[in-house]
Amino acid sequence: METRELFWSLPSAGIVAFYIIGFSAIGLAVLGVLRSIRKYTRGQASPVALDIWKGISRMVGDMLSHRTVRRRDRYAGTAHTGIFFGFVLLFIGTSVITLDYDIVQPLFGVSFWKGWFFLIFSLTLDIAGVAVAIGLIMMMLRRALFRLPRLNYLRSYQGETELRKPAARWRVEDWIFLSALLIIVLTGFLQEGVRHAMERPAWAAWEPVGRLIGWAITAADLEPESIWRLRSVNWWLHGVAALAFVATIPWYKAKHMIAALGSLASRDPLALRRLPKAAAAADGAIGVGDISEFSWKDLLDLDACTKCGRCHEACPARTAGYPLSPRDFILDLRLHNNQAQGCKQHEGLLDGGVISADTLWACRMCGACLEICPVGIEHPVKIVQMRRRLIENDNLDPLLRNVLNTISISGNSFGEPARKRAAWTSELEFTVKDVRKDAVDLLWFVGDQASFDPRNQKVSRTVARLLKVARADFGLLYDAERTAGNDVRRVGEEGLFESLVEHNLEQMANAQPFNRIITTDPHTFNTLRNEYPDFGLKAPVLHYTELLCELFAAGVLKVAKPLGLRVTYHDPCHLGRLNKAYEAPRKLLELIGCELIEMPRNRDNSFCCGAGGGRIWIPDQPGASKPSELRIREAAGLGVQVFVTCCPKDLTMFEDARKTAGLEEEFIVEDIAELVARAIDLDEFDLRDLPVLMDKIADAMAGKVMVSVQERLDTWLAENRSALLAAPVPAAAAALAAAPAMSAAVDEAAPVAAAAEVPWAISPYEPVSLSGYDAPAKDGVRIVVPVKQIGQLSDDFQFTDDRLAIMPQFFEYSLNEWDDTALEQALLFTEQLGGGEVVVVTIGPPDAEEGLRKALGKGAHRGVRIWDDSLANADPITIARVLAGFALKEQPDLIITGAQSADLAHGSTGVALARLLDLPSAALIIKAEWDGGAEIQLTRELEGGIGHRVSLPVPALITMQTGANTPRYATMRMIKQAKSKPVSNVELDPASLGQYAAVIRELQLPQANRAEMLEGSAEDIAKKVISIIQQKVGAKA
Amino acid sequence: MSGILVVAEHTRGALADISAEMIGAALAIKNHLGGPLNVALVGPNAAAFQQQLNLDGVDNIILAPVGGDYFDAAVMEQALCSIIESEQPRLVLIAHSANGLSVAAGMAVRLGCGFVSDVFGVDFTNGQLRAVRSGYAGKVNIELQFPDKPLVIMTVRGATFKAPAVEGQAALREIEVDLAPVEKRLCKHIEYIEAPSSGVDIAKAEFILSVGRGIQDEKNIPRFQALADKLGATLGCSRPVADSGWLHKGHQVGLTGKVAANCKLYIALGISGAVQHLHGMKHIETIIAINTDPNAPIFNFATYGGVMDIFELADALEKME
Repeated sequence: METRELFWSLPSAGIVAFYIIGFSAIGLAVLGVLRSIRKYTRGQASPVALDIWKGISRMVGDMLSHRTVRRRDRYAGTAHTGIFFGFVLLFIGTSVITLDYDIVQPLFGVSFWKGWFFLIFSLTLDIAGVAVAIGLIMMMLRRALFRLPRLNYLRSYQGETELRKPAARWRVEDWIFLSALLIIVLTGFLQEGVRHAMERPAWAAWEPVGRLIGWAITAADLEPESIWRLRSVNWWLHGVAALAFVATIPWYKAKHMIAALGSLASRDPLALRRLPKAAAAADGAIGVGDISEFSWKDLLDLDACTKCGRCHEACPARTAGYPLSPRDFILDLRLHNNQAQGCKQHEGLLDGGVISADTLWACRMCGACLEICPVGIEHPVKIVQMRRRLIENDNLDPLLRNVLNTISISGNSFGEPARKRAAWTSELEFTVKDVRKDAVDLLWFVGDQASFDPRNQKVSRTVARLLKVARADFGLLYDAERTAGNDVRRVGEEGLFESLVEHNLEQMANAQPFNRIITTDPHTFNTLRNEYPDFGLKAPVLHYTELLCELFAAGVLKVAKPLGLRVTYHDPCHLGRLNKAYEAPRKLLELIGCELIEMPRNRDNSFCCGAGGGRIWIPDQPGASKPSELRIREAAGLGVQVFVTCCPKDLTMFEDARKTAGLEEEFIVEDIAELVARAIDLDEFDLRDLPVLMDKIADAMAGKVMVSVQERLDTWLAENRSALLAAPVPAAAAALAAAPAMSAAVDEAAPVAAAAEVPWAISPYEPVSLSGYDAPAKDGVRIVVPVKQIGQLSDDFQFTDDRLAIMPQFFEYSLNEWDDTALEQALLFTEQLGGGEVVVVTIGPPDAEEGLRKALGKGAHRGVRIWDDSLANADPITIARVLAGFALKEQPDLIITGAQSADLAHGSTGVALARLLDLPSAALIIKAEWDGGAEIQLTRELEGGIGHRVSLPVPALITMQTGANTPRYATMRMIKQAKSKPVSNVELDPASLGQYAAVIRELQLPQANRAEMLEGSAEDIAKKVISIIQQKVGAKA
Repeated sequence: MSGILVVAEHTRGALADISAEMIGAALAIKNHLGGPLNVALVGPNAAAFQQQLNLDGVDNIILAPVGGDYFDAAVMEQALCSIIESEQPRLVLIAHSANGLSVAAGMAVRLGCGFVSDVFGVDFTNGQLRAVRSGYAGKVNIELQFPDKPLVIMTVRGATFKAPAVEGQAALREIEVDLAPVEKRLCKHIEYIEAPSSGVDIAKAEFILSVGRGIQDEKNIPRFQALADKLGATLGCSRPVADSGWLHKGHQVGLTGKVAANCKLYIALGISGAVQHLHGMKHIETIIAINTDPNAPIFNFATYGGVMDIFELADALEKME
């Protein structure tokens, strides 16, 4: 009967020893697995619901097809296929032997590992062994000879020139893994060969490798004793190597064999497309700031990484020289967690330098890493989670902080007033419906870039005209739309994102009915489609490329002249990779007669323009290249005429990149809508609204009537001229002529008007009594900070009719920068003192509460708003009098004000307030030190940057100069949470105000004395600048 | 019970230019207010400045040699209020400066008078004083009046009015001041800290290339430093750039920085033109301003303007020989 002896000529002591080693090895392996499982269970629950059964079936599919490993790397894919399936067969083979020898035989006294089964078994395992060996050798050659950048652990993108210690260990580990497997396979074959040489079984052909090696050994003509010794030594070698391999699986690289099963099975099918909602940690902060705050799936991901480097290669940040490689990000977290084992660490993840803030901010959320990862690691989701904590810790770029502030104030990242949101439509020949008034089929959610960026506004108008031609029934939310928040969420400002969603959904709910939502912006598209449903959006969301395809299919758009252009097309990350919408734009290009030449990286492998994930709001790192330039150079050799995009951010980035990369001669950058417009001959359509036409006809008729009336009137006037001679000059015109010209010096020749004598008398201003307000009892240090919501004026403002004020719609309100500095100083004092209360007070209408809420969000304890409409045009002294009334009730130890407000810049309120309260004061403070005692040390800032150090007795009032500190950022979540903090509203008796110290007579526009504007390209202007320099300061330049 | 009182401004042994500028402003409306034009000089060693202040139209220089050799808002307030109560002027002009701002509004409270700050225009119409100041980053001019106020205090914007060039015939008077009423508000002087030196001298530079908020990031500073070097310019900056610590304070042009006193050519890159910056440079004969915002106030003061990205300009300038 065909079989082989398992423990060949082994003494029973040897067998016992082997079993001991075997059980120990399995024990070690089980221990390792259990330890890992315990580590994962220390992680948080998954923040998104996972369908484990679907996940497992997808994982099995991925494994059997090996599609994730083969993708974009046939060589490694083939090698891994050999190793994987070979290994699986060998593993099954070993298990079968164990089943036969250790279970079936002892229990039932029979063996099935013989006969035809044994022969097929032997042949299969021989083939499997060969597959593994070939795979391993391919992998070794690849590591030794190919010099693949993705397998290089040197972080040259960070300027590293020497391999860091753990990376050197990774290299060793990789070789141990490959070598160990190869040794097992080779010693196995050798054992087989020796057996063949000694036993020469009749069925030798079923073990072709053994037979071959057997021949070789025979041919080598060794002593029978040597062969015998070889067989026994090699037996142990093979056995121990195999068992050692088993024992170490969960302890090093081989761990991916198990962890990857888990990470693949627990993938979130919507990862990155739909980010998880944020749950607050124990201390109330959101996001991840400690390894223990990651979910179990995140911790599992870390162990699944095989260091294959595909993400490293695909990452636009790394490619452009930013300090982020998704691979190294995961590996650094893994190293950290090997120590932490999922437990809370004293050394923080973010502040301890495990992952630097710059690394996290480098990500563009393009999803290239997530897409290509063969084991289903979700890198960007982890990055967003950590960014959330960075934002909470106020660890963000100052410009990004400004943009987030701007978005929270004006609802868009451009800082434009909401009423300008639909300004781009004003150049259209027709009126676009307002969904708030009319029901439509399509609600067009425009997004920021397409609404405000001039180049994209053009595209928006083209799209509007295309829809008009196609008679699509569409409308906008106009100024009710705010940025959809895709990138706000990816920056990590979850609270602001939620409030944007809330606002936009409320506007949609209040609008007239609509069926579908369209947008031209893939970022907006992504969040509306994948994230808004979590908050209740039900309407389907379409990208305009899909809609245009639909309109062509329906025959309402028709190609008039096929363009015959050679073009290339850039897949926007958020449209293509994230939402798999690859075909509609390509279909459109085909329809309009363009020949599409694909770039080497296309569809799921598209290379990000670099603008995503909020990076468009963060300044570029000097010295780094721009992903957009790298991308556009990819198109340079293709010989195309047009570089086509269908994403507003892409258009902006690539228009720029084309210039900076010096490709202006090569091709132009256009939005797909612009090509479609040419193809359908858009210019030939009359898009005017019918009513407008009617108006024009009516106008024309009225004009004719006017002419004839005028003619008759002229005749009548000519006949009756004398009757009109006595007509008086209109009063208004006379007043206009008499209006005095304003100047600093009155014309000396003018008659001197005597000053109207008001008797000279003085009587101090007094605090206004706030009888309706009572302050809570004092408990420790109390600091009062008056704050103001200042109005930023848009450029197209108008005065009210009486010219005493500006129409309110032209203001956007935000917290005064100087007051923000004052508040920060107050918060720093209470933090240093370990207690105390910061009370913020504002004088303003109900809307001003927003400023208080922001201050409370930052950490102020209590807010008070005081108002009466008669204060609208109050002078700083009057404001100070009201604040003094308040301070008398509060009896603070310190009052800290801003040195001035950014809108009117009186620079007086603080000092007036101090005098009203008879407090010592110092203005324009750039440094303040106070230990809560009777004296405060201050540095005043004087002209020329001189500092003046003084000390004042406390209680005192100080006014802060900007630059004294960096005010902290209050996330929208913190502001919302501050809703529970008390805010009192105090009404004021206008009768108590008395006379102002100054009254506004009139507002005027300053005389504009405009510079001579230099026009032309950057080169033209630079030339002119150089010539002016040469004229004025000589030839140095 | 009439006339104008100008408060001379001096720090650390130097009289500020604004003092004479305020005399110039006062001179133009002196006739309308019908009374003397007096100058108040406060400080133990302030008498040293009387020659410089003896300008055309000044009637009296009133000296109050009180306090220490440093600025104390409480001393200043007490001294000036004593002078005002004895002289009873209709108008008091104080510099809109760090010191002026520390005292003026407090005096207005104490005297219960009319008050306005940062004035750049003052005249007399229809029997009333009228002041002009600006608001909303220079986008609006605001005209104010002070009905029924026998006394008005104004703080005056620097580098705006012209100082009289002619010497005058002012008389010197001294006045005693009792500091007891403000004793509990006095400050303790510790020291003056010199403006940190940075190796650049904005005041002496003839050609300055200045960068503002438009530079976006600290990391871009070396690039513009190199550009300034290449063009032979001194690198200056606006307040936000110095506030953020991106450039040393010594580079700052403006009220709290340095006045570019000897500059002939000024290139402002990404500077919008806040009042405090204009103070340091608007007098310069040739100003080139580059900004992406076509409505930036700087274009109202520049000789040449360009609406463009400063980085594009830098690119183009770097490429030129």
